[in-house]
Amino acid sequence: MNPYESHPARILEVKDLTPREKLFTLRFLDEELNEEFTFRPGQFVIVDVPGFGEFPISLCSSPTRSPIQLCIRKAGRMTKFIHGMKEGSVVGIRGPYGNGFPMEDMEGSNLILVAGGLGMAPLRSVLWYALDTGKYEHVWLFYGTKAYEDILFRDEILHLLKHGSAMNCTVKLAYEIESPSCIYLEQGFSDRVCRGVVTDLFRGENFDVENSYALICGPPIMYRFVIRELLNRKLSPGRIYMTLERRMRCGVGKCGHCVVGTSVSMKYICQDGPVFTYWDALSTRGLI
Amino acid sequence: MRYVKLPSGNFEDFFNSLKGIGQIYGPVKEGKTHHFRRVEEAGEMDLKYTRTMLPPKKFFVRPRERLFSLEDGWWRKDGDGKPFVLFGVHSCDVHALKILDRVYLSEPVDPYYAERRKSAFIVGISCLPDELCFCKSLGTHFAMDGFDLFLHELPDGWLVRIGSVRGHEVVWENARLFDEVSDEDIANFKAFEEKRAEAFKRELRSEGLADTLDLAYNSPVWKEYAEKCLACGNCNLVCPTCRCYEVCDRWVDAYRAVRERRYDSCFMESHGLVAGGHNFRPTRLDRFRHRYYCKSYFDPSAGFNCVGCGRCDEFCPAGIEHVKVLDEIRGSLE
Ligand SMILES: Cc1cc2nc3c(=O)[nH]c(=O)nc-3n(C[C@H](O)[C@H](O)[C@H](O)COP(=O)(O)OP(=O)(O)OC[C@H]3O[C@@H](n4cnc5c(N)ncnc54)[C@H](O)[C@@H]3O)c2cc1C
Ligand code: SF4
Ligand code: SF4
Ligand code: FES
Repeated sequence: MNPYESHPARILEVKDLTPREKLFTLRFLDEELNEEFTFRPGQFVIVDVPGFGEFPISLCSSPTRSPIQLCIRKAGRMTKFIHGMKEGSVVGIRGPYGNGFPMEDMEGSNLILVAGGLGMAPLRSVLWYALDTGKYEHVWLFYGTKAYEDILFRDEILHLLKHGSAMNCTVKLAYEIESPSCIYLEQGFSDRVCRGVVTDLFRGENFDVENSYALICGPPIMYRFVIRELLNRKLSPGRIYMTLERRMRCGVGKCGHCVVGTSVSMKYICQDGPVFTYWDALSTRGLI
Repeated sequence: MRYVKLPSGNFEDFFNSLKGIGQIYGPVKEGKTHHFRRVEEAGEMDLKYTRTMLPPKKFFVRPRERLFSLEDGWWRKDGDGKPFVLFGVHSCDVHALKILDRVYLSEPVDPYYAERRKSAFIVGISCLPDELCFCKSLGTHFAMDGFDLFLHELPDGWLVRIGSVRGHEVVWENARLFDEVSDEDIANFKAFEEKRAEAFKRELRSEGLADTLDLAYNSPVWKEYAEKCLACGNCNLVCPTCRCYEVCDRWVDAYRAVRERRYDSCFMESHGLVAGGHNFRPTRLDRFRHRYYCKSYFDPSAGFNCVGCGRCDEFCPAGIEHVKVLDEIRGSLE
């Protein structure tokens, strides 16, 4: 078995989510692989565009549903190339990689999902998984976004804003740039939509910290603020999970790009992570 | 361990017998430095060398190597599994290969590395340290495994330690070249090892090093050195345990592409750069410190990530000395 070898997968559907992000629905050419392929929310795959290169992308669909989906932002050379690809084209996929969120350990508890921007992608996997399995007490989603146009999976988010309570799910949305659509939303859901940053959404919420877990994903700058908010509310560092990003090439602990830490503790984000607890962050310099 | 003696007069025959395994690579002097090169005759080698510029890692993790070729629209795996002999590997470099093994042979196994590791017949050789060697401080000055045969110099030949089944086979097949080890040989072996142990001039204080470095995260000494450092990455390239690589797809012509990997260096600004321009180690200080943290990483089951070969000192154009940096960092805490 060659761990660097990707498996051909056909792009079944390409959907524009925002001007910068597209949702790719994929199916392996090998039917057996489609049967076998499973993963945990929070894991990622390496996407291979032969002749152009590879890049890591979180699985944004849930293992409870198939086929798999990836939400890809046009960020540079390779992602621009895949944005130009059409339905029917074939790319390579290898993985799943990383540890993912410990979904079993959290069963029966509340989940507080905190997403910033593209951080919504891996957390959508958790969200779906939680709603599909119904094994969790209550699910909060705090989602911070720049503008209305940037809301990823907007239809799904709006649907949950309206009907979430029937599924034990509370969605809250913070936006930074005002627009008519946002104001309209804010009027409709004044308790759950506001102008501001994601930490503003914690206001007025009381969690049973003994029975809740927080799962965070967003831009590097966001972690410090969200974690402070959670610690203030006495959530244990062991109940704070975050998923991190680094430069990655191999995805399997060989190329050395994603290594963080010091002589006492060095971690591979690709293998030891990308999901870490706040305890890990406290004992590994440079993690966040 | 089984020990046999190779008398000086049989050395060349022994060398030639190894040609049956495959191409032989050994230390050859070129200008002022030594390099592992293809050798046809035993006489081409300089076995009294201290260190080669590139360590033997180049045979296992290639400076540049092809992983896949694009054929009929999909990848075909590249790689070569031809048996070869690495002749004259020092103990520190044997240890360094064991460190690479821990990375590349752990699950999931890197098939390119594993293939070459299986194809390599390794003949170790004893050495005397120069003023840059500090392997003794790290316990890498003597190898107990990781080789097929290890030659220790005696006044009239070599004491050979047999480290693997393949080593046994080679000795078995060439039994006529070897003698039993005599009491005198043992005495000579012991004397050589004692002389060698005393010859080390440089010492690294390794006790508590990992924690000390971690505690000295904000030491001004890092900054001083980061300003001296040219960020050329030489120290990474010549280090027998450095192994970061970058992957690139390259078109050979309009129809054929290859996927290659090549050495990368944590001193390069691009090392921690991700899309959108965010860099996780943006300054030279961050990168300088990172290398020392990586080299001084302590794995309780295997020790440090540095084997004390002294290459980074010898080939640093800024004259930065590994042990001196670590001593000064330690000093800045005391
Ligand atoms: C665990 C993980 C999960 C992720 N999940 C998602 C996700 O769900 N959705 C998403 O949109 N993004 C995700 N990302 C980010 C995504 O991987 C990057 O946006 C993507 O790699 C950008 O690739 P690019 O080539 O388009 O960007 P570029 O900016 O062109 O390149 C990205 C990096 O590769 C380097 N590079 C590019 N080409 C070369 C070259 N030829 N030689 C040397 N270096 C080169 C660049 O220097 C840069 O550091 C994730 C990242 C990680 C680590
Ligand atoms: S860090 Fe320097 S002394 Fe240590 S193994 Fe690498 S090159 Fe040799
Ligand atoms: S060889 Fe010396 S100058 Fe070059 S990157 Fe290493 S420490 Fe800096
Ligand atoms: S991505 Fe290569 S080591 Fe983590």
